[in-house]
Formats: sequence, C-alpha cells, structure tokens
Amino acid sequence: MKKVNYFLAALLGLSIQFASAQVKKGSVLIKNATVLTITEGTLDNSDVLVQDGIIKKVGKNLNAPSGVQTIDATGKYLMPGIIDAHSHLGLDVVNESTAPIVAEVRMKDVVNPYAVGIYRALAGGVTISHAMHGSANVIGGQNATLKHRWGSTDPADIIMQEAPRTIKFALGENPTRVHGRGNGIQPRTRMGVEAILRNGFNEAIQYKEAWTSYNAEASKKGSNALPPVHNERLQVLSDIIDGKIIIHCHSYRADEIYMLINVARDFGITKLVFQHTNEGFKVAPEIAEYTMGASVFADWWAYKFEVYYSTAYNAAILTENGAITSINSDDAELIRHLYHEAAKTQRYGGMTDEQALSMITINPAKQLGISDKVGSIEEGKQADLVIFEGHPLSSYAVPQMTFVDGVKYFDIKEDADDQRLKVSATDMVEPVMIYEGHNSRCMQDTEHLFETTNSLFHTNY
Amino acid sequence: MKKELLYAGVFCLLVAGWLLPSMAQAQSDPTGQRRITDTYAITNATVFTAPGKAGIKATVLVKNGLIQAVGSNLSLPKEARMIAGDSLFIYPGFIAGASEVGITKPKDLERPKDFVSSNPPDEIAGITPWRSALDQFSIADSNVDDLRKVGFTIAQLMPDGGMIAGKTSIVLLGSESSTNLLKNNAALAASFRGSRGMYPGTAVGVMAKFREIYDNTELTSQRSQKYSTVAGLKRPEITPTYSAMQDVTTGQIPVLFTASSELEIRRAISLQQEKGFKLVLTGLEDYETVLDVIKASGAGVLVKLEIPDDKAIKAQKDDAEGEVKTLNARVQEAYDKALAQASKLEEAGIPFAFSIVDVKSGDVMKAVQTMIANGLSEEAALAALTTNPATILGLSNVAGTIEKGKIANLIMSTDSLFAEDSQIKHMVVDGFVYDYETKAKKKGAKNGKENGDVKIEGNWDYTSESPAGSGGGILSIQKNGSDYTGTITYDDPSGSGKATSPISNVALEGSTLSFSFNVSANGMEIQVDVAGDVSEGSYEATMTVGDFGSFPFKGTLNPTLIANK
Repeated sequence: MKKVNYFLAALLGLSIQFASAQVKKGSVLIKNATVLTITEGTLDNSDVLVQDGIIKKVGKNLNAPSGVQTIDATGKYLMPGIIDAHSHLGLDVVNESTAPIVAEVRMKDVVNPYAVGIYRALAGGVTISHAMHGSANVIGGQNATLKHRWGSTDPADIIMQEAPRTIKFALGENPTRVHGRGNGIQPRTRMGVEAILRNGFNEAIQYKEAWTSYNAEASKKGSNALPPVHNERLQVLSDIIDGKIIIHCHSYRADEIYMLINVARDFGITKLVFQHTNEGFKVAPEIAEYTMGASVFADWWAYKFEVYYSTAYNAAILTENGAITSINSDDAELIRHLYHEAAKTQRYGGMTDEQALSMITINPAKQLGISDKVGSIEEGKQADLVIFEGHPLSSYAVPQMTFVDGVKYFDIKEDADDQRLKVSATDMVEPVMIYEGHNSRCMQDTEHLFETTNSLFHTNY
Repeated sequence: MKKELLYAGVFCLLVAGWLLPSMAQAQSDPTGQRRITDTYAITNATVFTAPGKAGIKATVLVKNGLIQAVGSNLSLPKEARMIAGDSLFIYPGFIAGASEVGITKPKDLERPKDFVSSNPPDEIAGITPWRSALDQFSIADSNVDDLRKVGFTIAQLMPDGGMIAGKTSIVLLGSESSTNLLKNNAALAASFRGSRGMYPGTAVGVMAKFREIYDNTELTSQRSQKYSTVAGLKRPEITPTYSAMQDVTTGQIPVLFTASSELEIRRAISLQQEKGFKLVLTGLEDYETVLDVIKASGAGVLVKLEIPDDKAIKAQKDDAEGEVKTLNARVQEAYDKALAQASKLEEAGIPFAFSIVDVKSGDVMKAVQTMIANGLSEEAALAALTTNPATILGLSNVAGTIEKGKIANLIMSTDSLFAEDSQIKHMVVDGFVYDYETKAKKKGAKNGKENGDVKIEGNWDYTSESPAGSGGGILSIQKNGSDYTGTITYDDPSGSGKATSPISNVALEGSTLSFSFNVSANGMEIQVDVAGDVSEGSYEATMTVGDFGSFPFKGTLNPTLIANK
C-alpha cells in the first residue's frame, strides 16, 4: 500500500513538471454521490464520468472505461467547483495606485502560482478565483481569472486562458482617499469619480477615432498619414466601450451604483458587475435591468463609513429582484468556507438550496463570462468538482476532494502539514508556541467567576 | 553630510600622496606616474590560457597593453621588466557581466512645480534610457581596486537608476590615466523597480509602462522616417526617451534586465517574446525551475555571484523536534539546492557569466569555491568569469583568454586559482601591473583545525590604516555560550577621544574571525566589516568601511593573567 502511494506520488510529481508545457487534464468516475448539478436539479445516487477534463456523462450505473479511476462517493455530495468572483490570491502586486486610471495594467503579469492560499482555497472547494486589481483607482488594472491548478510553476498554467477579459473599477471612499486626499488630484469627491469616468471614456472614443481614421488613410495608395501616439490605457477603455471587457466595480452606496449604471448606459456599456454592493438592495431592480448583477459579502460591513448601511438580506433581496447575485470572499481566509457564506442567505432571506449554491457557482460564472464552461455539473462542461462530506450548506460540511479539469488537487486524506511548493533557502524557522494550560497570571484569583460556566458547559480548562 | 566630509578627507590625502613624491621627479613628468617600461615578461609560469586548458610552463610577454607572446624560449626584448613566474599560476583576467563598481548615484532631480504623481516626467519616474553609466563612473573609486584585487579586469557597468536606468558601459579596471572605455552604450539597463510615490510605482505598472514606451518608440521611428522623406508633414515629437530607446527597438543593443527570482525571469522573458528585443538576464538568484524557459528564450544569463545567506541554516538547532525539525529539513534542502544551482545551469548547457551588482568583492572567491564544491566544474566556473562574459558582451576577439593579440589582462596567483589557500599576487590589466601583498599561511594550524584551538576571547590592541590616517583602539571579545559578543573602541570621527561600539555577527570559522560594527557620525550610520586570519594571538584582517573601500586591520591579543591549562 505504502509502495503504491509512493509510486503515485512520484508519478504525480513527474506529471506536474510536464504540465508547464500543457495544462493537465484528468479522467475519473465518481459514483453514487448526491449530485448537486445546480442547473439541472439534485440527482440521488448518481455517477459523473469525467474524461480528459470534461464532464462526459451524468447518470446512474455508469462504468469506468479502462484506465479511469473510480471514486466511491456513497453518502457524499458532489457539487461544481466553487467560484469566487472577488479575490486577490496568487498576485505579487495588487494595487498600482499611482494614477486614477491604470487600465493598461495587467494582473496576469504578476500571477504567482506558489501562493499557498491557492491550495487552502482548494481545501475549501474553490476551483476558480477572480484575481483582481485593488480598489485604489477609479479604473484599476485588468484582472486575471485563475484556475487553481496547484503545483503548476508556470503562471500561465493557472490562468484560465479562455475566460474573457475583466477590469476593476472602484467608486467612493478608496479612490477619493488615495488620489484626492492623498495626492491632491481629482477625484476628491464622488462627483470627481464620475468626471474621471466620463472624461476617460470620451478620450477613449477620440483615441479610437484617431486610429480608425489613420488606418483608413494609411491603407490608401501613396498615403503620408502619420500614426497617432499609442496609448494602451485609452485602448483598454475603448475595448470596454466595445464590449470586449467586463467591468467589475467596487462599490457600496446606492447613489454611486446608480451613477455608474447611468454612465454605462450613456456609453452603451452593458457588461458590468458590481462588487461588494452593500447598498445594492436599494437599487436592486436597476441592477437587475441594466447589469450583470452584483457580487456581495454575506454579512460583512461597518469597516468604514460608506459601509454602515448594510444588511445580511442584501443577497436575497437582489436575487428576488432578478439580479444575478454571487457571494464572494475578497479574503484569503473567507475563501476557505464560501459554502458557509452562501448558507447565510438561507438564514437571512430564506433562499432555497439551489439559489444559495448558485451564488457560489453558476452566478459568479455568469459574472465572469465563463458560465458556458463551468459553474454547474452538466455534460460538456469542464470537470471542476468538489466532493463534500455533509451537504455543503450544512454547518457540518467538510470538503473531501477537489478536482480541476478532472485532476484531483486536494484530498483531505492526503493533506500534508506543509503544502508549500517552495521554501526559501534563507527562511528562519520559528517554533510555533501552542498555548498550554494556565501559566499566565493575568486571570489569577478570578477562577471562582467561571465556576458556573464550567459546570454548565463542561469546559474543562 | 558625513560622507562628503570623508570624501574630502580622502581626496586631500590622495592629492598629498601624489604631490610629495612628485617634487623629486624630473620636470618632464611632473605627475611621477609615467612607467619606466610598458613591456613585461612573466617568466616560466604555469599558464592556463583558456577554460578547460591544462596549465603549461611558459613565459608571457606583454607589450603595448597586449599579450605579445605566450611560450617557452621567447626572445625577450631588453626593455622588458622581468617578473619571475616560477611559482605563479597565470589565468586570463575575470570579466564581470554586470557591475556597479565605481558608480555614484546621480543626484535626485528636483520635482517641477507642476509635478503630478500620476503622470511624472520620465526622468523623475526612473525612465532615463539616455543616461550612460560612464558618466557615473570613477576609476579612482577604491572599490575598483578591491575588485581588481580579486581578479577582475573588465566590467560592464550598470548605471544607477529606476526601471530604465540608462545604457551600460564596458570598461577596463585599468590605469587612472585612461578612460578605460571598451564599449559605450553596450546595453539598456532595465528592471522591475517602480518609482516611489508616482507612476509607475510597482512591477505591474513598470511592465505596462515598458510596453507603452517600446510601442511609442517604434511609432516615433516610423513618423521620423516619413518626416525626413516627405514634405508638409506634422513634426514628429522627439523625446530623449524615444530617441535613446531606438537602439533597443532596432535590435542594435540588448536589454539587460535585472530579474532575480524565477517569476521575474519569466516576466522579463514574456516581455521579450511580446516585443522581440534582444535580452540579457542579470542578477539571477533563484532560477533552477526555469532553466528550460531560459534556454528556449536564448537570453544571455548573468547569475548573481553570491551564495545565499546561511543565517537561517546556522540558527537551526540539532535538538529540534517535530514540526520544527521537518521545517528545518525543508529549508536545508532549499539551501543545498541553491548552492548547486549554478551546476544545473552547466548541466543544462546554458553558457552563463556573473553579475557582481550588490556583491562584496571580498566574498567573490568564496562564492565561486562554494559553487565548485557543489557541483560546478572548474572549467565552467572559469568560463563564467572569462570567455562566457566575453561572448555575451561581444568582446571575444579582444578578451577572455591568454593569447597573442588579446588585451593583457592576467591574474597571477600563488596556487591553482580556485584552491582554498590560493592568493592573487599580481594583476595585469590593460598591460598595467598591480602588485598585492600575499600572506604566508601558517602550516602549524593544520593539526588543530577545530575552532577550539583558536583563541579569540580577550582584549586585542589593533591598528588600522585608512586614507584618513592610521587609527587604533581596543577590540574586546567575550564568549557567551556558543556565541561571541564584545565591543570595539576607535577614534571618534565626530570629535576627539575614543568612541565605543558593540560588535555584532562575530563568527569564527577555522582560523577566520569576522565581525561588524557601526560607526555613527553626524546622524549617519556606517557599517564596518572586518574579516581575517587569527594565528597565535595575531590578527591580520581587512576592514571594509561602508562603500568607501577596504583597508588593513591588524590586532594583537593581550596576554591574560590566567594561566593556560
């Protein structure tokens, strides 16, 4: 048994090295699971056959083709890989905060496949995260959609290359604090933020026009046209207007959300998702009508002034008003239990299982423009899957195995203490001190105060 | 402030040093610097003409700054000064692929009144491709001699600056009477270094800005070309940045990209593939996992000539248990791998040279020896210091080997060059000979190599020589468990009397004692590193004072009243 494991480990190590040439794709048959397809209901005692990274068949009594491993998931739940529409995992740089618009910046340039948070996210069933630029700029950089192919050393291998381009926008306190108060330039107020947006888009229209007329002129015979100055920043804004890039906008207040909806409408932009959106519930019908919805926290607020007017019913209200709604983490710890975050919408808003799970699967997939490839268990989709012990919306849910493209990247039974891919040669190892017993004297002579608690709850410490 | 004072002091002393003997010289050479002869014959030495070649007994004749002949039975001209080479080993002089030796950072520019941090002028944002390293270089800098002393004869100088710092210059580390220039504007120095508090501030902004500059340089070229042939066109906007970048976009010179980690290496290569410029990677520290990527890119490779800091390894305790033990093992494994990295480059068949930017001259030989001890062949090590950099820098026809017609750049050592006790006795650079003191190694230490046999605790009287004069004081060392602590007194630089500082990083390896201390003067802290050999109560060491250079440091241990048992 041990020998076999060793052999498999060696084989796995080998294939990881080859993966830099091409992304790994796996084949597996998962049997007898309660399959939460998200889009096609819940299937009891069903099998899912994966071949070469794609879900080939969903049904009962499926047989594994020769060479395909079978995993018995009797009594367990199988759901599509969780998708986090707001994360900063696996990025060496998050903010190029030095200008109000930095659309030319690409997060794909600074993806770090060694970030151990990627593995931890896999342990929480998350297979895709949206690695976003920070919120220091009105228009931040272009984001990267990551597939958590842990073990890859080439950043290109963890980027979901087939995902459409997305870009970060930010409204409100962050950009006005950084630029207005920090550097004394526009925007200092919410009005300034809107002005930056409108000026930017108008310049982009002029920029595109300059190049269009140059290209038309240059193609003529004997043309003496001189090329305009290249400006990647305006080119990207022009691509946004042309619908080639999905906007993901950091926002809190209803007035600024409605402002951006109006700006988008004025420039004919429809590919727009709001992030955080704590006051989204006030403008839910507008978000539903004009945008690709909102990606929100389940219950996180009051960390600054603009985030006070908030409610845990936000996701439910948005959903009931027809807005595509997802629950995100924006955090390396929260990303490990997004299924709990989704479950909160059942306590606050009475969402059904399917509605709640959609918020961490198919809905974020829609907002990232990848719902035709991932986000549900359907034949033909990419095999990003999680096996849960316990229903994922239960407090007792524990992810057991996580697959990306049919390749198992997390298995709770093979979860080693130290999962880092890389260690620095100059790392100072400090012993981790675990609190043992009551050696501290700061609570001395107060023991009697806890006697009742101890007897009530049998806390023997 | 203090630095300037020190410089002034150094300058005065140097001037005085020149003037005094010159009084006695003939009027025809008021400098007193003219050589009696520029012809030298190093006779009957063991000569290693190129990497991989066995040593041959031969005489090397140098004239006009060139190697005139290598062989036995040479007829030597009368004017040749003879250097008896019988016990010497001669090697081609080292070439540093990238170095900052003798470079002084240009003054920061004042920000204009209408400065906007989101759109700063290029030269404030670290975009200065028109600058030349030569303008920042001084051959008289004492660091130049420190580098020559360890075998270097040619260096590609990197200008100090931001993301696009400027053009490199290739110089000889030769006579102060020459410009020593071999090649100006040899490469464009670039890095992922952002500008503080302005655009571009981070690596991700730098990459975007680099692309923007590159594309607009190409467009500006197109416009200029049309403008020069067709009348009636709008004047193209020529900027210093775009003008200076044209050598890169037209492929005349490579980009020398500083990329230390594997992810940075991938980033530099991805820019190269996107834009199509020639690329030389420099400052590589962590590269084992991307050897295939580097090889496929065809980029030149300049590895940082340094072995990783072993503080973390030394701090590991033998009695560690459980998790700490496991984690220690992982760090140890990473450390061992890092030491063997250079040999992996050799195995992969990638010819590489070295960058010595941010490397102390005194640590160079130790680093090479460690790489050799961890699998790098001596042939590859020598190639990385001679023929490979010559190829990467385009100097193959003038430097890198010992053969007739090449520049007379020679290392003369007392033993096979990479042997542990080998010392460099003479250097020849561009036909100029430099003599260095060698120390006879005491053989007695051989039968007692353990640390325990070398005693360093106690009070040492020491003297030190520096351009500011000779000084001295008391170095006091105590044993504290397995570590050493202590203090040192020295002439107070900001007044009269003595000042005292604690010493740190006290280490005794074999008979080599090293320690550091800080001297503070006028609010500036200068770190002083001392390292050298201890033998029977005497200490022969070298003291490195910040960026100012290295100076002799000698100590004598005072006897104690306690009898030796």
